[in-house]
Amino acid sequence: MSTTATPATDKRGTALINHWQGGVPVNHGKIFTPVMIFLLGVSTLGLGLALVRFVSPLGPFSAMNSVYAWGVWKTFNVMTLTALGSGPLALGMAAWVFNRHILHAVMRTALVSGFLLYATGLVSLGFDVGRPWNFYSAAMPWRWNTESAMLEISICMPVYCALFLSFEILPMILERIYYRGSEKVHVLLRRISPGLRKAYPFMIIGAYVVPLMHQSSLGGLLLLAGTKIDPLWQSPVMPLLYLIAAFLCGLSFTIFLLLAVCLRYSRPLSSEILAELANLLTIICFLFLAVRLADLVWRSQLQAAFRFNSMSWLFLIGTSLILIPAIMLRFKRIRETPRTLLNMSALACLGGMWYRFVPTTIAYRPAHSTGYFPSALEVLIAIGYMAVTISAFVFAINYFAVLPGEADSWDHTFRPFSWKPKAIERSVVPKVALKGGA
Amino acid sequence: MSGALLSRRKAFRRMTGFGGTLAATALPKTAQASAEEHPAHPVAPPQAIAMLYDSTVCTGCKACMPACNEANGLPADTELSGGIWDMPTSLNAQTKNIIELYQDPKSDEFAFVKKQCMHCLDPACVTGCPFGSLNKNTLGAVTWNPSLCIGCRYCEVACPFEVPQFQWEDWNPKIVKCEFCYEQRLKVNLEPACTAVCPTKAVIFGKRSDLLLEAKDRIAAAPDKYFEKRVYGEHEAGGTQVLYLSSVSFQKLGLPKLGTTSLGHYGTKVTSVIYKWLSGPLLMAGVLGFFIRRNWDRHEAETAEQERKTGFPEQL
Repeated sequence: MSTTATPATDKRGTALINHWQGGVPVNHGKIFTPVMIFLLGVSTLGLGLALVRFVSPLGPFSAMNSVYAWGVWKTFNVMTLTALGSGPLALGMAAWVFNRHILHAVMRTALVSGFLLYATGLVSLGFDVGRPWNFYSAAMPWRWNTESAMLEISICMPVYCALFLSFEILPMILERIYYRGSEKVHVLLRRISPGLRKAYPFMIIGAYVVPLMHQSSLGGLLLLAGTKIDPLWQSPVMPLLYLIAAFLCGLSFTIFLLLAVCLRYSRPLSSEILAELANLLTIICFLFLAVRLADLVWRSQLQAAFRFNSMSWLFLIGTSLILIPAIMLRFKRIRETPRTLLNMSALACLGGMWYRFVPTTIAYRPAHSTGYFPSALEVLIAIGYMAVTISAFVFAINYFAVLPGEADSWDHTFRPFSWKPKAIERSVVPKVALKGGA
Repeated sequence: MSGALLSRRKAFRRMTGFGGTLAATALPKTAQASAEEHPAHPVAPPQAIAMLYDSTVCTGCKACMPACNEANGLPADTELSGGIWDMPTSLNAQTKNIIELYQDPKSDEFAFVKKQCMHCLDPACVTGCPFGSLNKNTLGAVTWNPSLCIGCRYCEVACPFEVPQFQWEDWNPKIVKCEFCYEQRLKVNLEPACTAVCPTKAVIFGKRSDLLLEAKDRIAAAPDKYFEKRVYGEHEAGGTQVLYLSSVSFQKLGLPKLGTTSLGHYGTKVTSVIYKWLSGPLLMAGVLGFFIRRNWDRHEAETAEQERKTGFPEQL
């Protein structure tokens, strides 16, 4: 966000340019690569099937049953993937509440990925519920059962995505409109932007309070499942652990995404920002492990964790997925080598996802003798939602200034929206800078 | 500029003040509250109705099953019998009541068990239901309202007895569960179809307090006959309004081993304090708002400086 023109100095003394100053669009290369066309095909298939499911009962589309009432759409696309979508929460709180200014440069990457993951999660919820036509009750507070965690989620999640996250990505969209627009558009946007700026600090309060509520409520949901969930997971602190896991996944996924996409588009990296993120990630990892350990000791379940049966292995694998990166990232060499940082953040991210996924699926063991394994159609639709997320993200970084880059070498040109790749006409850098920024 | 800042400060102060007063009025209330919404061990109201099922009396005639289907307008489940007679294998989308047989493969020990909604004193499904589609009425019957249900199936996840059944094969799916024949029979002063039709009086209907005494009398009369000399449902998950007596282990009959604390209490004891009048979120908003405000002002100064130096506006 903040554009540092002066090169930040490395603590070891060698001069190091901070390559990540702000969002810069990817202005070169084809968008419709074979991989993208494949992803778009998978998205179309998934969404098409989801639309068919909308006019069909759930039965033919899923292997869910009344004992295992929640399938992959809820346990993976919502429970697990919205944890990855908590990047805006984790980075935003670090930047705005804990004053980590340096993180503003990578905020848009977190915001766009978070918005897309939440949006597809909500779409998946919409196709998962059996009687969606009754959802209008959400607008009638007197019908709310305020003690239900499900109510909290079904209202807070759409509000967060449609109001707060959308507001946070609005400047990014207006920026494109401004720099590609005529003089009239410039005048209009210059009139609007001070208002947006005034609203911004108030909106981000909501943008942090609301996900704090619903990310913990996702864990709170599982409290009522009681003894159906293995005692290694079923615990009164589950809401807190789900929240910490959201921070953990949000941070590690943002690191992973930044590294992966910058490598893909051969962008230089900024070790300073990455080191800051890695540092925050280890703090969150250790916090998660400490709460998890304290909880197991307090409920005297620690020996159950080392019984080496299937549940104990699930726990041990999930915990080491978080413990290994937590320790490794304390080493400066590992933290500052992009390849190892990428691997470690991927491990931490998997560990967080593991914690969010297992209690509703593998460790969810009702006494009844039925089982659940997702049907092919169910998996296809779930993969379709993910393909939508990925392809929309690729569009976003090509058409909008999302990915961090060297902002002062960018002349504010954007790709035109068109099917055929055209040479980008060089536009002149506006002489009057947009007051307050779009 | 300073005027604008001042007014923003004022607005902010007013906001935190608002949160503070709300918290101040809300928190003592929770402390004073004598009638907790979800006590750990709920007490049944005097008018609470119940069913008492004595597995040692049941002959497994299954007369209650077609009676239930008839009272509730449910079709017979003929999938296993090749379209001939009602033959469900468990509670399902067209079966609200079932008689199951437990048989020990080694010894000749066997017992029947009747399964239906347990009508918990503090039902987890009602606590979890987002728009109050599931409701526990004054008699204690847990009923389902089709016009409020969004089909999220949280009730199925929450129910420790795995009772609510979702119609997976229906375009307009309903939650199928025993509703104590509330609409059909209780309202017109009739007892539920299953208890009315039972020829051996293995399942009887009455006030919960009376039936608990009756069950304890039976145990006192023949203490060796009954498993653990206790009534299942007296304390399970905070107590239920269907009570069981059995000669074999309740777990063998498929009744889960549960604690005595109600799930509603376990699930809401912390959140009910945090979310009382939204005091927790409002407090959080106040605290976050304080830091965001401070950092925002710093950030504004820095970006203005930055813009003057480079000529580039900052990106939000």
